[in-house]
Amino acid sequence: MKKLSTILLALIFAGKLFAADVATDFSAANQLYAEGKFAAAANAYKKILAAVGTSPNLLFNYGNAEFKSGNLGKTIVAFRRAELLAPRDSEIRANLDFVRDRVQGETLRESRRQMWLGQLTLNEWTLLVAAAFWLTFILLVAKQIRPTLAAKLKGATWVFASLTIFSGTILGVQAANHFSRQTAVIISSEAGAQSGPFADAQNLFTARDGAELSVLDQRGDWIQVASGSGKIGWLQTKQVEILPGA
Amino acid sequence: MNRFRPQIFPIVGFLFLAALGFVPPVAVAAGFTASLDRDTIAVGEQATLSLKFDGVQPQNAPALPDVAGLQFQYVGPSSSFSFINGQTSSSTTYNYIVAPQRDGEFTIPGMRVDVSGQQFASLPLKLIVSKANAPSAAAVNSGSEVSFLKFTFPKNKIYVGESEVGQLDLYLRDDVQNFGNFQLTGVPTDGFSAGKIAGLQSQHRRVQVGNRVYTVIPLAVPLTAVRTGALTLGPFTASAVVVLPSQNQGGDPFFQQFFNQGEQKQVTLATDPVNVESLPLPEQNKPANFTGAVGDFTMTATAGPTNVTVGDPITVRMQISGRGALDAITLPAQDAWQNFKTYPPTTKMETSDQFGFQGTKMFEQIISPENADVHELPPVSFSFFNPDDGQYHTLTQPAVPLAVKAAGDSPMPTLAANKNGAPENQTPQDILPIKENLGRLETKTVPFVVQPEFLALQSVPVLAFLAAFIWRKRTDNLANNPRLRRQRVVAQLVNGGLSDLNKFAADNKSDEFFAMLFRLLQEQLGERLDCPATAITEADVDKRLIYIGASPAALESLRELFHLCNQARYAPIQTRQELAAVAAKFKKAVMELQSLKP
Repeated sequence: MKKLSTILLALIFAGKLFAADVATDFSAANQLYAEGKFAAAANAYKKILAAVGTSPNLLFNYGNAEFKSGNLGKTIVAFRRAELLAPRDSEIRANLDFVRDRVQGETLRESRRQMWLGQLTLNEWTLLVAAAFWLTFILLVAKQIRPTLAAKLKGATWVFASLTIFSGTILGVQAANHFSRQTAVIISSEAGAQSGPFADAQNLFTARDGAELSVLDQRGDWIQVASGSGKIGWLQTKQVEILPGA
Repeated sequence: MNRFRPQIFPIVGFLFLAALGFVPPVAVAAGFTASLDRDTIAVGEQATLSLKFDGVQPQNAPALPDVAGLQFQYVGPSSSFSFINGQTSSSTTYNYIVAPQRDGEFTIPGMRVDVSGQQFASLPLKLIVSKANAPSAAAVNSGSEVSFLKFTFPKNKIYVGESEVGQLDLYLRDDVQNFGNFQLTGVPTDGFSAGKIAGLQSQHRRVQVGNRVYTVIPLAVPLTAVRTGALTLGPFTASAVVVLPSQNQGGDPFFQQFFNQGEQKQVTLATDPVNVESLPLPEQNKPANFTGAVGDFTMTATAGPTNVTVGDPITVRMQISGRGALDAITLPAQDAWQNFKTYPPTTKMETSDQFGFQGTKMFEQIISPENADVHELPPVSFSFFNPDDGQYHTLTQPAVPLAVKAAGDSPMPTLAANKNGAPENQTPQDILPIKENLGRLETKTVPFVVQPEFLALQSVPVLAFLAAFIWRKRTDNLANNPRLRRQRVVAQLVNGGLSDLNKFAADNKSDEFFAMLFRLLQEQLGERLDCPATAITEADVDKRLIYIGASPAALESLRELFHLCNQARYAPIQTRQELAAVAAKFKKAVMELQSLKP
């Protein structure tokens, strides 16, 4: 028993030390940003992201640092990743909109429907469906155990069953978007979309830094993309960063 | 009709079973072949490469080898299934368009493909690509050409960076009834950047060439020189399908003009190459802030707000209007802005012609004064080279006076203090500032919706419901079945009674033992015979039990038990062992009774 509590204390202490280290690194990166050393700040944020994990605030600050370094594409990637974690954060949305307005040429934007669906994360939609599903079945079980309550519980059962179906449908759409659709964000100053996945293929159109394109196919180091106006071409994967659809 | 039915049924049945997967496919040798639909084409034409897999199907379209001078574009797969003499075979063909970039003899090497561990190889293919030639002047003038292309460029000398619109004219002879599928198959513009080729609908015309009249359909080719030296435009190549009057329909010429459906003919078109000399921009008098703008432009610039605090954003808007490659214009670095912090500019372009050569490019740049000593925004300048006069020009806007206060003199700007997103009715001037706290860290996790544990957990309410449903059904069933209810009550009573019997036997309480035994016999037999327990007597054993299938041994045993109960009233058994033996006998008899179906 004594041994166990010693191990637990050691783990808690190590966890606190680890959290303190991350917070120190984060503050150091913020300091670099405040001093106007944006590229160095971006690198510092990136190191934390690679070593520790992610948080909406960390991605938000990283996006800011990339923007100040003039990298629109990387900025949009960071803000969109932050938005996936915290979709109702108005500051992330405001900065994402601000940066997107600065992207030249064609770029994809979410539709109103996608924006509405994106108000909850995929996990939040999943938990909503699960909660409605559990409540529906709890009421059904209650009706079996106490048949006298059936009439009283009928309305609530229908409400939760309908909510399960409705939110389940949305979850299906969001999950399909998440797992089957991808968005490519241009992270080089400009990228020429070519007619085929070959180095000497004809250039069909040019996408600029920060432009968002939907991914249609992937072959080796090449991805096939479509612009908002329906132009289709192949880009090298090193020119883009790929984000999940939702 | 009826005589076909017997023959059709087996086939339909077989196909139905085959569709359901009940008929095992007859093994057909797997194979892989590569083929070209043509082995000789001209530059500008396309061939189709087909990779056919018999009996096997790879998961993805096979990757093609690189062949210098040939471009491959994947079109899509096609599948076929055949059923001949009881043998089924299937094949999948992956089709690619092969477009040559130059003339010559090309070899598409043999390909090796791995399908589910099986190795397949194809033979090399040869493709001869001949030059696409424009028709001779004599052929054009003779009127023998159904259709031809001509390319004209307004200048034979051009400065690098200069933009001009070339014209590609498609000539169609007057007897062409219709044309379609026009495709530009080759647009060689080496040293030029080509814009989107657009049709000039308003400039269709008819011209006489030799003895024939042609309809001219012009296409505009916007071009910007990007390299110096001797450049060549073309030969542009295209393909189209034209419809000509049919030569094979006899009859009255009067009716022919109404009923002649025409013959389709595929035509391949090519222009003569056009040589253009691209001149470098002169080094003499080149302004220091020249960034490569070539054309003829004007500039306007505004800045605001002009009354600010150190660190506040000031928006500088510049508009460059005119003719030239607007897309390539970049904002020159303003060296005089060293007292300002500058942010990446944003650009917007509005063109007034369809080629993007005429219009306005707008730049918006956020700058902020770094100290309170700044009193003006220095003059903004922009330089360009005008190819019409061969001179550099510099446009300059005058300095804008600024009133800059020190940072401590006034509250923080609204934007920097805003923590709730951008104001709704105001365009934000900069991104919102960074966040001070890290927030909750998250490691990369798999979404709940695909976690097996999470999905398994969702079966709990369903199982709980099923359990509750089954329980409810059983409860209702019991409530509606008094005999079943009695059966359970009696079973419970007998179980408890057996314990009591053993206890009485152990305590050698003979009277209580037999009283209990008699009661239990009555209850158990009453339940089996569906009559009141108090009405059961020894006589019922012989009269009624036999009808529900009790064995003679069980009947004998029950008779004996009744007999013992009666005997005990007059001559009680005294020993514990005897009582225990009676209890065991009762247990055995009861177990047999309970197994009978009443």
